[in-house]
Amino acid sequence: MVGPLWFVGFDSLMQFVAFIIAVVIAYQAFKGYRITKQRTLLYLHFSFALLSAGLLIDSLAGFLGLLSRALRGTLVLTVVGYSIYFIAQALAYGILIFAYVSQARTLSATSPSLWVAPALGFATLQAAPIPAIKLLGRLVEYHPVAEIVLLFLVFYITVQTGLNYSATKDRNALLVFLGFLLLALSHLLFILMPFGALLFVIGHVLQLLGFASLLAMLLRVTTAK
Amino acid sequence: MMQKLPKYRSQMRIYVDIMRVIQREDNHAKPTRILYGANLSHDRLVKYLEELRTLGVIEEVVEDDRFYKLTQKGIEFMNQFRAIERFAAAFGFVI
Repeated sequence: MVGPLWFVGFDSLMQFVAFIIAVVIAYQAFKGYRITKQRTLLYLHFSFALLSAGLLIDSLAGFLGLLSRALRGTLVLTVVGYSIYFIAQALAYGILIFAYVSQARTLSATSPSLWVAPALGFATLQAAPIPAIKLLGRLVEYHPVAEIVLLFLVFYITVQTGLNYSATKDRNALLVFLGFLLLALSHLLFILMPFGALLFVIGHVLQLLGFASLLAMLLRVTTAK
Repeated sequence: MMQKLPKYRSQMRIYVDIMRVIQREDNHAKPTRILYGANLSHDRLVKYLEELRTLGVIEEVVEDDRFYKLTQKGIEFMNQFRAIERFAAAFGFVI
C-alpha cells in the first residue's frame, strides 16, 4: 500500500467504478464498429477494453490484498495487480495513439508532432535507471518510471483531444478532453507521490473524475435527439 | 485539423449521406434531390438505392412521381448512427 492508511480500500473501490465506466465506453465503441466497420472505433474498443481489464485486475488485487492483510504475500498480490494494470494501460493508450496516428495518415495531415509523445515515452523507458525489460519484472506499485511513461502517453492523447475541442468547440469533445486531462494529472500526482501521501488520494480522485467526465460524454451522445 | 474528411467516402458514408438527404426532404425525396444532395453520379445512385432497398432501410413510393422514404428500420438506423457519429466525433474520429 502506497497511500495513507485511512484510504485503504477506497482506491480499489474507485478503480472498480472506473472499470465499469471503461467497460461501457468499450461496449459503445464496439457497437459503433459493428454498424460502421470503422477501424478507429475498433481501436477505441480495444483500448477501453484493455483499460477496463487492467482496472478490474488492479481493483480485485487491491480488495484481495485488503482481505488477506494478515497473510504474507499480500504485497506480491498488489504488485502483480499493478504490473498487469500498468501493461494494460500502456497498451490501451498505445492503441489509442495508433488510432489517432492512423487517422491522421488517412486524412493526409500527418505532422512530425504526432510521434513526439510516444517517442518521448519510449525514450524515458530506455533511459530509466533500470532497463525496460527488468522494470516489468520488478515493478512496484505506482513506480515513478512507469507513471512517467503513462503520463507521456496520456499527455499525447490529451493534446489530440484538446486540438479536437479547439477545432469543434463541441461540449462532448470538451468532456473527452477534460477526461484525459484529469487522467494525465492523476499520473502526474502519482509520480509526485513521494512528496506526500495525500497526492495519492488526490490522484485517485482525479482519475475517477476523468472517467466520470467520459461517462458524462457517453450519456450525452446516447441520449441526445 | 481533426475535422478534415477522408478523400474517398466509404460505402457506409454514402449510404448515410443518401439517407440524410431523404430525411432532410421530410422523408419524401425525389431521386434528383438525392443525386445532388449525396453528390453521386446517376449510375451509382441507382446502385446504392437498390442496395438500400434490399437492406430494408428505404422504400420506393410511386405516386405522380417516384419518391424514396426511410422505413422504420431506416429511421432507427439513422438514430443509432447519429449517436455513434457524435461518440466518435467527441474523440476526434471521423466516420
